[in-house]
Amino acid sequence: MANTLKQIQYKFFDILPLIFLFFIALSGNSIIDTGIFSVNIHYILIYFFVLRRPENLGYGYIFLSGIISDVVFGLPLGVSALSLLMVAAVAAYVRVVTVRITLVNDWISFIPTLLFANFIYFISLYFSNFSVDYVYLFKNAIFTFAFYPILWGMFSLIMNFTKS
Amino acid sequence: MDTSREDVGIAIRSAFLKRGTQQRFSLFVLVILSILFIFLETIDSKPLNLLRSFVKDVVYRSAVVVSIPFEGISNFAGFFDEHINLHSNYKQLIEENKKLQDSLLEESFLQLENSQLRKLIDEQVKSSSNLVSARVIIDKQSPYLNSFVINIGNNKNIKNGMSVLDGKNFIGRIVDVNYFSSRVLLVTDLNSKIPAISNPKGIHAILSGHGTKEPTLDYLPKNHSIEDGDLIFTSGREGIFSPGIPIGKVKIFEDKIKVKLFSDLTQITFVNVNLSKAEKEE
Repeated sequence: MANTLKQIQYKFFDILPLIFLFFIALSGNSIIDTGIFSVNIHYILIYFFVLRRPENLGYGYIFLSGIISDVVFGLPLGVSALSLLMVAAVAAYVRVVTVRITLVNDWISFIPTLLFANFIYFISLYFSNFSVDYVYLFKNAIFTFAFYPILWGMFSLIMNFTKS
Repeated sequence: MDTSREDVGIAIRSAFLKRGTQQRFSLFVLVILSILFIFLETIDSKPLNLLRSFVKDVVYRSAVVVSIPFEGISNFAGFFDEHINLHSNYKQLIEENKKLQDSLLEESFLQLENSQLRKLIDEQVKSSSNLVSARVIIDKQSPYLNSFVINIGNNKNIKNGMSVLDGKNFIGRIVDVNYFSSRVLLVTDLNSKIPAISNPKGIHAILSGHGTKEPTLDYLPKNHSIEDGDLIFTSGREGIFSPGIPIGKVKIFEDKIKVKLFSDLTQITFVNVNLSKAEKEE
């Protein structure tokens, strides 16, 4: 009995990132905007799990959540999906070239990830004839970077409840 | 040097092309698929539009279900807030009621005068029955698009470009129509440009959104005399919207001519869509 409960707990925490991924995409909360600052949780979630536990967050799901985000926010289909996949790509590259994973390493490599993903976002919107608020995009990147350690701690806590 | 270049190449190939453990697709395939999606968005064909409309309708309905907990929390917060401010709200309402009663008398006189003058110049008085009501189902403001989704679309003869009103006030226009839903681009959005006219001076301008609460008046004549408190209406120029729909009041701040909207865009649950454009097309 205890074993079964343990198995259910492992299974639940294994799929929790996936549930969270679709939940924030569908509810339109992938970017938390308080007016003073805004944080892109979508980027942090994908970067963290592709880097630390890629088996919990498939690339296909990331693509799908990007498409959902585009629909909910009214952006051209594929724009968010492409930028999220770029985050996943940089995270996958960092995973391949990094031996020891620490918060500081993750955090520093998150800078080029954000720059690259936002650049792709900007380019895709530019070619779709969408006006972009550059200042907002810049502020969002800064605060997403600043908030990374907090969410890193929370996601690490979730990972402690999983099997491996 | 060559070895390190090779290492980078191997790492990139490994990250992009290889399917990781339990991954069904490689990143490369999905990136290509995303680019294809972006490209397809620029193509306007009936089967593609139908597919897009279906996908969007399904996502919107799912989003409504997923947003229920958030709505519950914000409703509770609103309920709590209302109770705390009950007394001050009551006082404010009494004052407003007095003012409204005064203005009602004045308005009825003005309406009578208006209809008589219209008759005098042989203009047909339009009825307001070409409005259709809708409920806002998703109002998640995107950082790049100030918009919301309403629960009517092609099924109620909604078309792109129709004006959307909160009560009698202009708040935006339809930019994307699906079968059961439509997207409304608000006047505050960066992509919104509305032909407007000031009252009482009758100066034409373009109302431009900036992603902030208050849009500004652009393309004004050089020596304009717009003042604080002037009223702003749709001008009806270029035949996009009906003329004379109230938008807001001028608020000059640091040499910028801002417009304080009559409607609070964060508090909208129901809207009216003006179908007159569709009628014109038909």
